[in-house]
Amino acid sequence: MSRNERGGGRDSGRPKKQFKRKFLFRKKKFCKFCDEKIGFIDYKDIRLLQGFVPERAKIFPRRISGTCSKHQRKVMRAVKRARTLALLPFTSD
Amino acid sequence: MLQYETIFVTDPNLTDEEVDVIVKLVEQLTVAAGGKVIKTEKWGKRRLAYPVEHREEGIYVLMTLECPTQHVKEIDRRYRMNDRILRHLTVRVEDESQLGPSPMMKPRPADRDEIPADPMLAP
Repeated sequence: MSRNERGGGRDSGRPKKQFKRKFLFRKKKFCKFCDEKIGFIDYKDIRLLQGFVPERAKIFPRRISGTCSKHQRKVMRAVKRARTLALLPFTSD
Repeated sequence: MLQYETIFVTDPNLTDEEVDVIVKLVEQLTVAAGGKVIKTEKWGKRRLAYPVEHREEGIYVLMTLECPTQHVKEIDRRYRMNDRILRHLTVRVEDESQLGPSPMMKPRPADRDEIPADPMLAP
């Protein structure tokens, strides 16, 4: 039975609705820095940056963290500066 | 003249006096170049994120300067010549918050594990 055959008539909108419901609980991602209006990300604030370099010490990607591109660049630069000062690791195993 | 922020990490075995000598030197060089020191912060001994020259710790010192652009080159050159400095970085001051006390000077939570996880980064 294909999706279109299932309901027919008035219920033709059903599959779409189910699809929507499945993802309803997913919270919309937002840029933490835009939200808090942070314009400058300090490379010395390692407690903040540690949240962006979990476990393997790789920089958290935008697609997961939801950070906007403008702030992601700032995070990237801050993390790299902190790494050269041995405040943050390059890798961890 | 521009404002710069300079950090250096020294050998952990240096005494306070020896670190002060380096701080003084940077100060003197800056004043001689026609600049001034805005603030000096000693973070003290910190664990390095990775070993540098077989050392697991380092003494961190942060200084904020107002000096001519050319002076940065000179400071960097001095840092490189000094083999007791493990790491150094000099960058432009981008934000006014950098002129005040740095995040390092804020009191630390008792234990790192007790910091609540960022809800945004939770899986």
